[in-house]
Amino acid sequence: MPTDDSSPVSRAASAVRYENATKRYGDSKAPAVEGLTLDVPAGEICVLVGPSGCGKTTAMRLVNRTVELTDGDVLVGDRSVRDREPAELRREIGYVIQQIGLFPHRTIAQNIATVPALLGWDRARARVRASELLELIGLEPELADRYPAQLSGGQQQRVGVARALAADPLVMLMDEPFGAIDPINRERLQNEFLRLQAEIKKTVLFVTHDIDEAIKMGDRIAVMRKGGRVAQYATPAELLMSPADEFVEDFVGADRALKRLALMRVSDIDLWEAPLAYVGQPTAEVGVKLEGAEVPYPLLVDGERRPLGWLSERDLAAETVSGSPDSPLGPVLELDDVMRDALADILQGGAQYAAVTDRAGRIAGVLSVEIISEFLGSPAAKVEEHGAAERPLGEEPSGE
Amino acid sequence: MSSWALPLAAAGELPDSFFKERTSDTLPCQANSHAFFCFDWARENIDRYGQPTVQHLKLVALAMVFGFAIAFSLALLAHRRRWLQTPLGVATGVLYTIPSVAFFFLLLPFTGRGVDTAVIALTAFNLQIIYRNTVVGLANVPRSVVDAARGIGQTDRQILWRVEIPLASPEIIAGLRIATVSTVAIATLATLAGGGGLGQPIFANGIDFKTNIIIAGGIAILMALSFDLILNLIQRFVTPWERATQG
Repeated sequence: MPTDDSSPVSRAASAVRYENATKRYGDSKAPAVEGLTLDVPAGEICVLVGPSGCGKTTAMRLVNRTVELTDGDVLVGDRSVRDREPAELRREIGYVIQQIGLFPHRTIAQNIATVPALLGWDRARARVRASELLELIGLEPELADRYPAQLSGGQQQRVGVARALAADPLVMLMDEPFGAIDPINRERLQNEFLRLQAEIKKTVLFVTHDIDEAIKMGDRIAVMRKGGRVAQYATPAELLMSPADEFVEDFVGADRALKRLALMRVSDIDLWEAPLAYVGQPTAEVGVKLEGAEVPYPLLVDGERRPLGWLSERDLAAETVSGSPDSPLGPVLELDDVMRDALADILQGGAQYAAVTDRAGRIAGVLSVEIISEFLGSPAAKVEEHGAAERPLGEEPSGE
Repeated sequence: MSSWALPLAAAGELPDSFFKERTSDTLPCQANSHAFFCFDWARENIDRYGQPTVQHLKLVALAMVFGFAIAFSLALLAHRRRWLQTPLGVATGVLYTIPSVAFFFLLLPFTGRGVDTAVIALTAFNLQIIYRNTVVGLANVPRSVVDAARGIGQTDRQILWRVEIPLASPEIIAGLRIATVSTVAIATLATLAGGGGLGQPIFANGIDFKTNIIIAGGIAILMALSFDLILNLIQRFVTPWERATQG
């Protein structure tokens, strides 16, 4: 079953399907999860999010049978978990929990190689696998022989993820995996995991109570309410754009407009065209361009179409465009910038709009506060906010 | 001297001749019963303690092996079936509180005089400490670790032997250390049950001759300290992670 090549990149992922899954604990009347039906496509991150006690963790645990179904079914791939021997099933499913749960008496390498060892891999192969994973999660190889207590919390949770990935599972269950990590490290771990996931493409069931984390991590989000009922199951963008009901709207929060912007890049929206001016150009020519333009001032660019500054009316009063424009350039955005950051830059610069450049620094258009507010205001603006937007931007070096 | 008459009489077959054969009252310090320690006597008679020491070791070893086997099994049972925890705790607690001497005499009609009786009583006395430390040690294993072990695909048996018992081992061994030290001490009473050991010389010559008591008692103390040291070393050996993480 395990891959024979030494590549840490995975073989496959299985879809997970809940079919009317119900869990009732002992004699309690209200089921923890009732009639849950949910399709999680292979290779996607599905976030189960909801207030505490909504049954999201219980729902997640039904998959690896650490909680047993009362009724209904859960399929991993196309096999019912009911037909599987629990221990054997769990070895195919990565498991990461908030408290991490590393074995304190085993070294890091031994911890990572736990499942390979259970599957009967020989020692040498398990050891090789452990070092591959250490590299994959960005920990120094020297840590292999340390004990968990010698690592920081963030490092420990990275090891927790590595342990879950060791035998190349079909599915990953992650129960508030970054919940106990400080905010700075949490963000770093989230980004690292997203980058990892882009490579390994596992099916991930990710439980959190934090809607921001859900929006950031999820390809799809299931907002759950008490009893494990799904209030809405949608992509992050859909969820923010059209919450299904009041519960979801409340849960998503009053700032969902801003959250939507966090999911977008500047390139996702139609920009204004900038009236361009070149040094030495007759101002009359520039004046013509201004007519009917959305931007009231011309943008001075160099020969490579790189923006230099905004021309004021005084600049235009001259015969030709001078090389030193009256108004400074102000903030310059890039097409790859996250929309929310772009908006912040514009507002912080005290401006209404800002020049946007491509990667080479050439002018690509102008983004204005007006464009953004129009976009948010119109339901017609169903821009296909693609999944890549919430991917990590800052490629900060991994480390502890 | 007279206060020992009863148990000694009950013990019946104490070797009265234990010291008398050789100690022909020739040593002045022996005659002076107030002398604290008589080196000359000790030098001449030290070999007499060999056999009681070996027997003492045997008593302690047997009591520890049986005590550990029983108490550890009971603790594992109680770990699986929580409702057994209290009844087993009470049962071993009762055995723990019975005075050892009383226990010997209670057993006499059934097991007679000898090593068996002594070992049974010493074993019974051990159970509580080992049982309780094992139960507590297993209960102190972090739930998250057990949860992770289960979620990762370890069977109950694997969780017990690969996770819970190793993590509980410091407490289990701590229990063994306490139990061993007290067993070494209490085994000096085994002679009252006819079980021999270092109690034999202690009681044989009466309480007036301190040199003998100091030697026999000293051997017992050394024995207890040695066991403690050995178990301490074992503990360090089987829990390397504890040392690594203290630095």
